[in-house]
Amino acid sequence: IRYIVVMPKLKIIEIIELFYPSDGRGGVYEDLKWKALLCCELPFAQTLDDGLSEHPPVGQCQLLNATKPEFSSKSPTLSGNCLDILCWLEGERTNLICNAKSHRAAAAASLLTVRPQLVVQMNVLSDEANHAAQCAGEDTAMCSISLHGNDATVSLNISISLNGSTALSPKMQVSTHNLRRPEPPINLHYDVTTEGEVIFRWSDAQPNSDAINYEIRYASNSSLQQWEVVKVKGRSWVSLNELSSGIRYMVQVCCQSHINYWSEWSQPFYFTLDVSYIPAEIFTTPGSEVTVYAVFHNRSWSASKAVWMLNGQVKIPESQYRVIDEQVSAVTVTVDEPGFDTLMCCHQWGERFKCIIAYAKIYTEGMFNADITCQSKNSEVDTMSCEWNKSAWAQVRLLYRQYTSMCETISEMAGSEEAEENMECPSGAGDHRECTLKNLSLFSCYKIWLEVEGGRGKVRSFPVYVAPIDYVKPSPPSVLEATTLPNKTLSVSWRRPHLPVYDMQYELHFVALRGMANTQWKVIGPLLEPQAEIQLEESCVQFKVEVRCRRLNGSGYWSDWSMSYTSVVYNRKAPEMGPDFWRAIQEDPVRSVTNVTLIIKQPVLAGDPYSCVEGLVIEHQASGRAMWSNETTLAQFYSFPWRKEAHTVTVMSRNALGISTRNRNMTLLHQPKRRCVRSFSAVANSSCVYLSWSLLSDHSVPQSFVIEWLDLKKDPEQDMSLTERLQWVRVQSASRDLSLCRRFYGSEEFTLYPVFVDGEGEPVRCTATRGDPAAYILLLIIAFLSVVLFVTLLMSQNQMRKLMWKDVPNPNNCSWAKGMDFRQIDTIENLFPHSEGLTACPLLLVSESICEVEIIEKTHPVTLELEKDNEVPIYKSGDKTTTDSALLADSSEPLSLEASTAAATPETSGQSSVTYSTVLLSHQPSLLRKQPGGLWDLENHVCSDSANPRHSSSYNSVEEFSETSDQDYEASESTGVAKDLYYLEVNEEEEEEDEEEIEETQSEQENNEMVMKEDTRALLEGKNSTAVASNVSHSIPLYLPQFRTECINPP
Amino acid sequence: MYFPVLLYPCILGMLSLVHGIPIHQDSLKNLVKPQADTIILRIKDHNEKLKLSPKLLIGDPELYPEVPADKPIQGLGSIVDTVTTFQKVLQRLPKGHVSQIRNDLFTLLGYLKDRMISMRCTLKEPANERSLDAFLESNATHHITFGYLALDRLEQFMQKLIVNLDHLKSC
Repeated sequence: IRYIVVMPKLKIIEIIELFYPSDGRGGVYEDLKWKALLCCELPFAQTLDDGLSEHPPVGQCQLLNATKPEFSSKSPTLSGNCLDILCWLEGERTNLICNAKSHRAAAAASLLTVRPQLVVQMNVLSDEANHAAQCAGEDTAMCSISLHGNDATVSLNISISLNGSTALSPKMQVSTHNLRRPEPPINLHYDVTTEGEVIFRWSDAQPNSDAINYEIRYASNSSLQQWEVVKVKGRSWVSLNELSSGIRYMVQVCCQSHINYWSEWSQPFYFTLDVSYIPAEIFTTPGSEVTVYAVFHNRSWSASKAVWMLNGQVKIPESQYRVIDEQVSAVTVTVDEPGFDTLMCCHQWGERFKCIIAYAKIYTEGMFNADITCQSKNSEVDTMSCEWNKSAWAQVRLLYRQYTSMCETISEMAGSEEAEENMECPSGAGDHRECTLKNLSLFSCYKIWLEVEGGRGKVRSFPVYVAPIDYVKPSPPSVLEATTLPNKTLSVSWRRPHLPVYDMQYELHFVALRGMANTQWKVIGPLLEPQAEIQLEESCVQFKVEVRCRRLNGSGYWSDWSMSYTSVVYNRKAPEMGPDFWRAIQEDPVRSVTNVTLIIKQPVLAGDPYSCVEGLVIEHQASGRAMWSNETTLAQFYSFPWRKEAHTVTVMSRNALGISTRNRNMTLLHQPKRRCVRSFSAVANSSCVYLSWSLLSDHSVPQSFVIEWLDLKKDPEQDMSLTERLQWVRVQSASRDLSLCRRFYGSEEFTLYPVFVDGEGEPVRCTATRGDPAAYILLLIIAFLSVVLFVTLLMSQNQMRKLMWKDVPNPNNCSWAKGMDFRQIDTIENLFPHSEGLTACPLLLVSESICEVEIIEKTHPVTLELEKDNEVPIYKSGDKTTTDSALLADSSEPLSLEASTAAATPETSGQSSVTYSTVLLSHQPSLLRKQPGGLWDLENHVCSDSANPRHSSSYNSVEEFSETSDQDYEASESTGVAKDLYYLEVNEEEEEEDEEEIEETQSEQENNEMVMKEDTRALLEGKNSTAVASNVSHSIPLYLPQFRTECINPP
Repeated sequence: MYFPVLLYPCILGMLSLVHGIPIHQDSLKNLVKPQADTIILRIKDHNEKLKLSPKLLIGDPELYPEVPADKPIQGLGSIVDTVTTFQKVLQRLPKGHVSQIRNDLFTLLGYLKDRMISMRCTLKEPANERSLDAFLESNATHHITFGYLALDRLEQFMQKLIVNLDHLKSC
């Protein structure tokens, strides 16, 4: 046996040749096997005695074409020592097996006694592995070498020895690549052109594939038996037409190598044509325009009905669409901000848009704002939780990098750390919005940012630089202790968290556990020490206390509140007395159980602060049974079932130091009770109930009495429990009466229970009766006051009427009204039949003023130049009618009128002002016309005739006239006659003038003479007097009191 | 003397009986219904957060048959089959918000499978698995619309399941 050493030089050559394995040096590849025929010429054998020679004789070998064995058989020189060599792969590139078999062994084995010795040496030639295998055999040798799953070139050397002579084969190489079928193509996919053409593509499995031909077959998923096959030569794509939309196709490809091996069919590729986007992914920069095409493979979808949506939320304006052809739509958009966006092309379907799953992705390079906020925890393992905002459409990954310097310096030198290694959130890419980083260094600085998945690292958020120490949310304080001290102080102490090591501040809040009014938490803080003394309003109260902490100086977060701790009430001794209590007995007919509820009076908290009551002990002893007890908190009620046997209950107060010694007990008996009360009565008044009772003389005196009643103000519907409504009071045995002062309805039923040491006596009931007539008296007083008020109102009304109208003259007394029957006068026309109309003296008025005008007629005889004596200037205002004193100017007789205005009376409002008017009748009566210068309420009031020296009118408010004025305004409009009106201005600016006028008036009053002027020009000029007269009757000036009467001489 | 001999088969018989006692129907209903309700509410929350335009109709029922839409409920087997498919679909969605729904569905599937075992129902191999894988492969990259469609159909199925809880009684 000889060992063949492959020389390094030879190896290099062989490795180079590895790239050209297909020639199969020395053999041929056929049917996934490598075949060769090796024939050797061996010299004559030498005897062992000739061993003087250093080297054994060496023969020659020659490789013949294995496909032409006849050639080898004809070779006379080599035919005797030929070998058939066959190599093949075992398994999936696991082992290469080569077999060498001598022809002699097959043909004439029996003839020869000496058999050739074969040694097969196989070497794997590759960079990765360099190992060899060697096998030996007689006539036949089979050798196997491991390939470790890779393709390799294996060198094969065979030596043949016969009778001491040896022959070596020439170098043979077997390429395992050619011993198997080619790998089927991979990466099957398709592209769509903007013309709607579908181009199907694939890749060779091996980079240096020698595939030259391909076959593609495709079928719809439902008809896999009907394959469409396309042959492709020399290229790895094909245009597939005649595909329908909405159908799921399966496509497979196989390839043929240069040695005509066909691969298996590739893994199937499934696809459905619906809407294709070109391009499907776009990388752009902010502000750049992007155009995306959408191809509708569905022929029923028209590009003219395409609707483009941005991020599935916003419809892009149609002005940005383009219809390329019937099936292709395009849109051009500009994305301003870095980030990730999507475009969907849908089809209008009524009011809605039909869309498919696919969408185009737009990556806008740059940095976006993700609002990353972090909160760290410093405990056994330092962690930091960060949250951020992002588009719902984007998958992101959180990356971070650690620095060992301060964040301020890091952010300044940002960008110079590309060599550093980034770390990633353990949860990886996804649509997360938070991540928790663990095992952080609290004092490092971390740069944290987001990267959009698929954005090739170019779409990322602005980084934040975070020092976890600045964002610590500490653990809450622990080992909390709180004590309610007798000096009304709550003393609290706690232990701060060990980490972080910086100084802490604390906040404490507490709430009383007893009393409904104190359920609000009270907050104390900030506290710098881990303890606090809080002043209380009362002692003996337990409090629930919680504490939290945060960094004293610098940023950070408050910790969570600590575990609640209930304060301990400090006591020096046990309570002395147990609470007083009563019972309510209720039958439960359903369960046939009698329940007893103890109603316990709360102990006085402000009693002895050194022996506070923290709870109760209820001790039971039923007849014939053992004694047992229960502990409760300070409850108001305590219930237990009662078997209607003799049952003694004792209620004791307790605290940490013991239970009370002086306690009250109660014995419940079901047997007939003794009677000891002779009488029991109750008398109630508005606020108190007086109870009195007497006892039978021949009975023992009870230990105490209990008086019980139901609180009627509590709604039994709401307060379902009888015990909630039951009220009771204990009375000493010596008392025979009791005064209960509280709110009673008067119908309460009181029950008196005599309580003996060994049980209760027979109760006595009575209902309280009202003993005082207070309610009736009150009712009488109210009735009397009502009568008084009514009478007062009546009287005041009459008084007011008198005050208002006492100076209004009776028009029947007027001289011009002699003989007139006002009841028959229906209209003004009847009253003023003259066509010339009337001259009006506008009246004086101040809004909201009560004006009283006195008109005093001079004593000398006057001559009224009335055209008609029956003309009466009547002014109507609403349903009232009065006679304006100013209208007396209508009397053509010159009059000297004394006008005075009453000072503001108490009846007038504070805003009322007083205006004096002095009205004088004109001396030219011929020019005067009677004119209803205003329609005042007459209401059968008097208008003093000419003989009457006093004419007065009073107005109580402007509003009284407004209605009439409105009506008059309408009338005026209907006639269409304009009138010149003179307003008495009442604004404040002219109040001074008014006052001056008043002074003038007063001065004139002193002369008891006043000239009343009337400018009748407006009425006379250019107007037919008849027309005017007829119109005037309808034309009633607005707000008559606002006119100032001024009678003038006509020009 | 014969006591242990008689006792042994008795105990074995009792044990076999105990093993064969199914979960009470009402208890299974009570377990399934709140889980289905929870999944429905989570899906609604998830899809509302996407703030998609209400005018969008993503995926007609006849499209994407790989994701069950309006599939009839014909007993426990069909329920498990459908839920398994949804479970596979959700596994292809990115980590994050859908993870919780995926966990909920996984738990529900566990209950249903236990029920099938106790009822000695035959667990079918899901049909069209290769087609589903290919569909997921080609569409999971559009995870928002894909997830929206899948969760919408899952919500419909959960609603149908709640109405048809009686089908849990049969295989």
